[in-house]
Amino acid sequence: MQRAAKCALRLDISRAFCPSNVRNCGAVNRVNGSVSCRRYSVLPPPRDEEEKAMLDSMLRVDHAGEYGANRIYAGQMAVLGRTQTGPLIQHMWDQEKMHLERFNEILGEHRVRPTLLLPLWNIAGFALGACTALLGKEGAMACTVAVEESISEHYNSQIRTLMEADPERYTELLQLIKEFRDDEIEHHDTGLEHDAESVPGYLLLKTAIQAGCKAAIYISQRI
Amino acid sequence: MAALIRGLRAGRALRGLGGVAVQGTRSTQCSNVRRGFHRAALLRLASDSKSDTSVPPPSYHEVHTAGESSSSSAQGESSEDAQPNTSFQDQSGEHSEDYETEEQLQVRILTAALEFVPQHGWNMEAITAGAETLGLSSASTGMFNNGAGDLVLHFVAQCNAQLTETLAEQNNQVQLGQAESKKTGEFLKDAVEMRLRMLVPYIDTWPQAMSILLLPHNIPDSLKHLSTMVDDIWYYAGDRSTDVNWYTRRAALTGIYNTTELVMVQDSSPDFEETWAFLDNRIKDVVNMANTAKQVQATGEAVVQGLMGAAITLKNLTGMNQRR
Repeated sequence: MQRAAKCALRLDISRAFCPSNVRNCGAVNRVNGSVSCRRYSVLPPPRDEEEKAMLDSMLRVDHAGEYGANRIYAGQMAVLGRTQTGPLIQHMWDQEKMHLERFNEILGEHRVRPTLLLPLWNIAGFALGACTALLGKEGAMACTVAVEESISEHYNSQIRTLMEADPERYTELLQLIKEFRDDEIEHHDTGLEHDAESVPGYLLLKTAIQAGCKAAIYISQRI
Repeated sequence: MAALIRGLRAGRALRGLGGVAVQGTRSTQCSNVRRGFHRAALLRLASDSKSDTSVPPPSYHEVHTAGESSSSSAQGESSEDAQPNTSFQDQSGEHSEDYETEEQLQVRILTAALEFVPQHGWNMEAITAGAETLGLSSASTGMFNNGAGDLVLHFVAQCNAQLTETLAEQNNQVQLGQAESKKTGEFLKDAVEMRLRMLVPYIDTWPQAMSILLLPHNIPDSLKHLSTMVDDIWYYAGDRSTDVNWYTRRAALTGIYNTTELVMVQDSSPDFEETWAFLDNRIKDVVNMANTAKQVQATGEAVVQGLMGAAITLKNLTGMNQRR
């Protein structure tokens, strides 16, 4: 009980002093001795095997998603980096990098196995980003819109699952996912603002990309 | 003593389902044995609560037959199965000292049986001998459907738990600053050696145990034990990787552990010196490979940067490098 209170206090203090986009609370609190409340811990200690498996697969697919998004933006930057949309894509990429950092921390801390298909998502993401960027700025924005829509839908369904299960227990995790979902929706809206819909074959492209994302999510949850 | 336990158990039968507590620690049994056990325990408690406390406490024959009849009528029990699992969790940790679950009893029998393994080997005879030292009849071994497999898996789980405890303790010491942290190679070597040394009292019969672990119906459990052990060792060695390295490291350590185990089984040198030398060499190999891989990657990156530089120079020279 006291430990939980101390954790909460540490959490509040670290939130107050660290700006919200610098999530180094883990590094800051690393020195505090005992095992159970060493740092700002997003997950509750698992109650049984089933819960651990569910949380594992959720975090695994989220990590794979952020990794893929990272590579997609890298591909887009490789083609469009030196054009006028370069800074915009770079900004969105930086936010994805932060998300990935955060998930890397969580996976390491909670001993979650990453998906075996990461090398595949590496190549596929980069290829997708580069190919859509070759269609021009509108193509890149259309790809962003499609992917971000998939990811925010996916985060929403995770939020729903957690809320249905036990919102009190998963408060920090819910907060994290909500924050990331809001970022992804922002990217989605940015893409729409920058003429995503004016790419020829927009609907076809969007449907194809979203189908690919759904398949990737399905596989990464399991493998 | 056992009769006293049984008497108390009958007396507490009115506590109902909630009284059956599950150990919070990692299961040391095959999950299907545990499930069969829960069903048997439920049936017994149900029958106890229905009948009066004046009925003599059930013998292990009854438990065994109850277990068998419950496993044969598995369909009807499935609804019962879903509920007891959740109630066990609510009650976890809340067991009185006098009341013992079937799982705890199994653990006690198997632990006692380990003493007789050097003499009888990994089979039902050892389990029977173990049960007899606890004052139970030899018929109580009927609860072990998998027989030798149960015994070996129990031993493996026990060793892994001990290893994890020691590693966690060492980790704690390092965190508190009371001990130096070891380099990865040294840490792995010490951990594997510590784990393999636990086999020393049973080394003569270990080939039999290894072949039991390779039986098809034991493979899922033995693989699970092996993979959790390797994961634990890497976790305490400090691995927090979240990419393909997660897999390559664990695969490498699994290979090292298995081959060293095989070497140990036919090693006749004093205190298994040859085994530890073999282990040392394998770990050095893996560490070298990791270093080489890092170097290759660094070289590759440098080469790519050089090529990019050359390409940009060319683009500059030909005037292609304009902002669009």
